[in-house]
Amino acid sequence: MKAKSILFFLLAVAASFFAASYRWGDSAHSIGLIKASGGTARHASVLASGEGTYTLIATAAVIPPYRGDARVVLEGEPRIDHAIYLSGPVVDLGLRRNPKLRDNVIHGLQPRDRIALWVVMKPPMTDPVCGAPYRDGFFGVSHEGRDYVFCCRRCAQAFSLDPERYWNNIGVRGRYQLAFYDTKTNRPVLSVPVEFQGKEKAGDECGDRH
Amino acid sequence: MSAETGIEKRFFFKRRTWILLLSLVLFLPPLSLLFQFTQDSSFCGSWCPRMFFVWRRGETAGTLLFGMARSYMGVALVLGAVASTFFLGRFWCSHVCPVGGVSELGSWLIPAAFKLRLDSVPAASVRYGYLAAYLLLPALGLGSLCCGYCNFATVPRLFGAPFSDADMAFFFRSAGVVNLGLLVGLGFLTKGGRGYCNLLCPVGALDALSSCFGERFGRRVRVDEECCSGCGRCRDECPVWAIDVDKKAGIDQLSCIPCGMCAKVCPEHAIGYGLKTKTAEERVPAVPSYALTGQNGKDLAA
Repeated sequence: MKAKSILFFLLAVAASFFAASYRWGDSAHSIGLIKASGGTARHASVLASGEGTYTLIATAAVIPPYRGDARVVLEGEPRIDHAIYLSGPVVDLGLRRNPKLRDNVIHGLQPRDRIALWVVMKPPMTDPVCGAPYRDGFFGVSHEGRDYVFCCRRCAQAFSLDPERYWNNIGVRGRYQLAFYDTKTNRPVLSVPVEFQGKEKAGDECGDRH
Repeated sequence: MSAETGIEKRFFFKRRTWILLLSLVLFLPPLSLLFQFTQDSSFCGSWCPRMFFVWRRGETAGTLLFGMARSYMGVALVLGAVASTFFLGRFWCSHVCPVGGVSELGSWLIPAAFKLRLDSVPAASVRYGYLAAYLLLPALGLGSLCCGYCNFATVPRLFGAPFSDADMAFFFRSAGVVNLGLLVGLGFLTKGGRGYCNLLCPVGALDALSSCFGERFGRRVRVDEECCSGCGRCRDECPVWAIDVDKKAGIDQLSCIPCGMCAKVCPEHAIGYGLKTKTAEERVPAVPSYALTGQNGKDLAA
């Protein structure tokens, strides 16, 4: 019995260690400060390139004396389709004031408020060879059950010659920023760096101008 | 030995389901009545009961205290639960916790044929293995189980998802799906519905320690060995597999939550709730050393 207990204890520690150290590539959590002079996040939010949908949970506290409305913008190229939601009571009985989100603007921020935004992002597919984001005129190719898009025949040919090199290059890469701007002054009050990291680098020259 | 009392007649045991349902109204969407008075609308932020006692590598004492101040409602909740458990048993877990309540009530809706039995898993070993990792990994800078695998985040969002896009977004992520899987697999689909509570809840693990340390002083669900026939029906009914029956039933206070389900099925009425009374051996006072003294205090035996 004692041996069984020790075994289960060790198994629980090992499984917990794996669970704790495993990083999910499709979501990240940022903690930041909203300041009149420009607040920052504690660290960049890192996401793994190649996923279909991502969720960024951006929590922030408002540092006095800032008060006002803040417009939230996801900045970076290529543009990512996204939706922003603000956590709040499902049924608001009006017992306490809460900031509200309308048209990506957080209204009524006051000192010491805490907010939690959920940003759901759907990046475009990219050409795995040159990294160009999908647009009209691209054509699709299926390889080993996976769909790829190409801007030109040259890229498709480069892919077919060496698919191992490019197979995982289907998502956006690089730095984005979830920026909060005060609506009156248009000055940034919080910047949250968001980084899409891939296993390999896209961006080989294909000759086409994108 | 126990100070026997009829569990089935006591309000808190008789009305446990209703108390659990009331707790869902107080803590969970769509109403979340208690959260209406504070800025945070869920167990995250000021109500977080899981993060404030975790020290992360590089964190100063000041930062740790700041974290506690930030989660002041969570601190009050956990300290209140642990203190009340010491004297009264784990009523937080059995009657109040909305997360455990949902998992247990949800399991009642699943037919018994689909349920898993976890009786053969030594719950305390898994629970404290998990708690050890929960506390040590952030201290060593090797990762964290705090937010990524949080039952207090999953259950409220499950209730909020039909009404709120922000709550629905919780489940758009792999981590959200895994959390939901844990709740369904270890909660709804286990016999008794308390697998998650019994194995993976750090607040429950702390609470259970308080229950174990306070066992001698406080009220607990206990077995009267003189009445127990060892039939084992209590063991089959226990949602946290805390009862072992050899010749007589014995309750592990490190796992027991005072739900009273064992007492309800006991044909001998051998299970009650009360203080630990002394065994016959303990009741005999220590005999003072023999002495014969006169009225003036003089030792006559000398």
